[in-house]
Amino acid sequence: MRNILLSLALLVSAVAAAQVPSVTVENAKGESFDTSLLLEEGTPMIVSFWSTSCKPCIRELDAIYDALPDWLDEVKFRVVAVSTDDSRLLAKAKSFAEGRGWGEDYVLLFDKNQDFMRAMNVSVVPHVFVMDAKGKIVYSHTSYVPGNELELFEAIKKSQK
Amino acid sequence: MKKILSYILLSLFAVSAAAGNDGSDKGKKDWGYLTGSLESTNHFYVEDAANSFYPSMQPQLKDGNIFASNDYLKLDYYKGRLSAGMQLEGYFPSLVGFPIAENTMSLSNLYVSWRDKSYSVTAGTFYEQLGSGLLFRSWEDRMLGLNNALLGARATYNWQDKIAVRAFWGVPRLGKVADNAAFMGYDKKFFGLGLTGVNVTGADLSLSLSNLLGMDALSLSLEGSILNKHESLSDVLVASGLPENTFGWSGRVNFDMDGFFAKGEYVDAGKTPVGSVMSGRMGRGNAQLIEFGYNRRGLGLSVTGRRMERMNQKIYNYSSMELGFDSAANMLSYRPAMTTQYTYMLTTLNPYNPEVGDKVICAGEIGGQIDAFYNFRRGTAIGGKRGMKVHANFSTYYKLNENGGTKDGGFLFRDFSFDLEKQWTKKFKSVLMYSMQEYNKHHENNGLYIGLSHIVVADLLYKWTPTLSIRLELQYLATKDDQGDWMAGLLEFNLAPHWSVFASDMWNHGDTRLHYYNAGVSFTISHLRVAAGYGRYRAGFICSGGVCREIPAYTGANLTLTASF
Repeated sequence: MRNILLSLALLVSAVAAAQVPSVTVENAKGESFDTSLLLEEGTPMIVSFWSTSCKPCIRELDAIYDALPDWLDEVKFRVVAVSTDDSRLLAKAKSFAEGRGWGEDYVLLFDKNQDFMRAMNVSVVPHVFVMDAKGKIVYSHTSYVPGNELELFEAIKKSQK
Repeated sequence: MKKILSYILLSLFAVSAAAGNDGSDKGKKDWGYLTGSLESTNHFYVEDAANSFYPSMQPQLKDGNIFASNDYLKLDYYKGRLSAGMQLEGYFPSLVGFPIAENTMSLSNLYVSWRDKSYSVTAGTFYEQLGSGLLFRSWEDRMLGLNNALLGARATYNWQDKIAVRAFWGVPRLGKVADNAAFMGYDKKFFGLGLTGVNVTGADLSLSLSNLLGMDALSLSLEGSILNKHESLSDVLVASGLPENTFGWSGRVNFDMDGFFAKGEYVDAGKTPVGSVMSGRMGRGNAQLIEFGYNRRGLGLSVTGRRMERMNQKIYNYSSMELGFDSAANMLSYRPAMTTQYTYMLTTLNPYNPEVGDKVICAGEIGGQIDAFYNFRRGTAIGGKRGMKVHANFSTYYKLNENGGTKDGGFLFRDFSFDLEKQWTKKFKSVLMYSMQEYNKHHENNGLYIGLSHIVVADLLYKWTPTLSIRLELQYLATKDDQGDWMAGLLEFNLAPHWSVFASDMWNHGDTRLHYYNAGVSFTISHLRVAAGYGRYRAGFICSGGVCREIPAYTGANLTLTASF
């Protein structure tokens, strides 16, 4: 067991230049969207994987939403909210996100067969990534408790240095 | 086993360290990068007569064993347009109630893929979905024990976002190795992938009319799919008239303009057995799905209607009895319950399981749901200083009679829920919810006995400091049916960024007087999470993505580890 934990720690510390893979998802209009296009704007990003049945995910995206005006005063970045809801909850997820006002401030993507989720090696939601302007992952976190959003902002600020 | 795992992890470290490259150093060779994830769920079972749980009576727990573990290691390597990956699964043995029971470790996924701007080619295992999945879906859901990945090949081509085509062929995986399984002449245990003796071939075409005609203001597309399933049957079964090939198709239209959206899908899923396979009775699977609504700035409205008739397509419809036709993993398409997915403990006691039409007396179901989300903005009379969010859902479903009509079809399920979320002060937030659920408990026998329950939930969150918070859930279920009234509570302390501790209890005070207690702690650091707990769990359904699997009651401790890198 100690060996396993040791190897895991080594492995985690070896996180290198993981990036945004090219995967086809849907945008808010239901059109195909290639995730590699996220890099075109050249700004840092918070990429958050969520689902309508994941309460901590919603709390996290709400917390970011509330803090966003203040954060954007300091740093330019985008928030990408990736719904991992299956086609059962796809229409609901879109209405849910718009009903919370996320559509105005977030890039909304819908990953109905979890292809992007798999490509990013997300096994449980919430899972959030911070990427620098080149799309390199500089921070990631799984699960959410109130206060975790502060770390995201720190990571975004650091990614610009 | 531990040695093997350590070895794999250490070699991974070596590879990832070698592949590690921050990409910013010019002139340095680009080795690509490696990412992966590890998930390990471990249960330690405890005999609990009150919960009617005896580890010794579980099929996978032999010789006094009380330990079970489901483990998944996934690795993906990316270099430019090339990617390759694998997944290793281990069950030592599998958790109680899980479809795969054996003590086994095997390579379940293995692929290599090339993705250019306009085309992609994949060989090995992959996942695919046609439309909403009613015609075909392959996906992985570890909670359900489902992984029907295809082993084969897929090619896609996209012409300027105007025309997109894709075609694939593969052998679906079921988790167990079938006797008649083979892949291109290789042995049935090819790479331990748990292949089936079934071949699936499919294609999909999508035309974006709005892009073809240069209409920027709206989005309009027409789509169509075809699918053929070949199930190898014995001569006896073929002689009895059962088909080896099942052909299906679907047509779809998607529209979106200024926040208004509408979607329609028609599915002809081909022939499907009705009732006992040996009766030789067949039906034609077909389904119709309509979704429309309006989403705009703080308002979300969506309406769904669906009719499903004889939609019982599985990986195995006729052969391989030993794998169990009814195994939750024997799935080839996605036919979820189109209802609210509840998450609070007492709201999930009676989940709706859709009627797919496999029984003679009932050809399927028809019904729909409506969802409304609204955000009362900050500064408005109702919204107050911090705004208020409300949501309501209503859904109702009826049976189709033997011939697919709605006459005398009978009632299946109805629910209504309303929730209100309000941030009162910077520190205090509440969610109040009410749910009414009505379900026909005797529909299996074509009878009618309606169970009705009312559930109220209060979910209160208080933040002492930006990183220290407490959350309390109080729930009550009132009913004259089943086991009568329930109450439940949950208390959770969170200390960001690493710690969370919780304790909960679900008490059936209306009948059994049994407590379903649960307590646990979790520690998260970056992308590594470890959670441990102890509890008594009720028999029922575990539902994920609208698909449900029956699970037995159990009592014990659990330890879960998830890591991604």
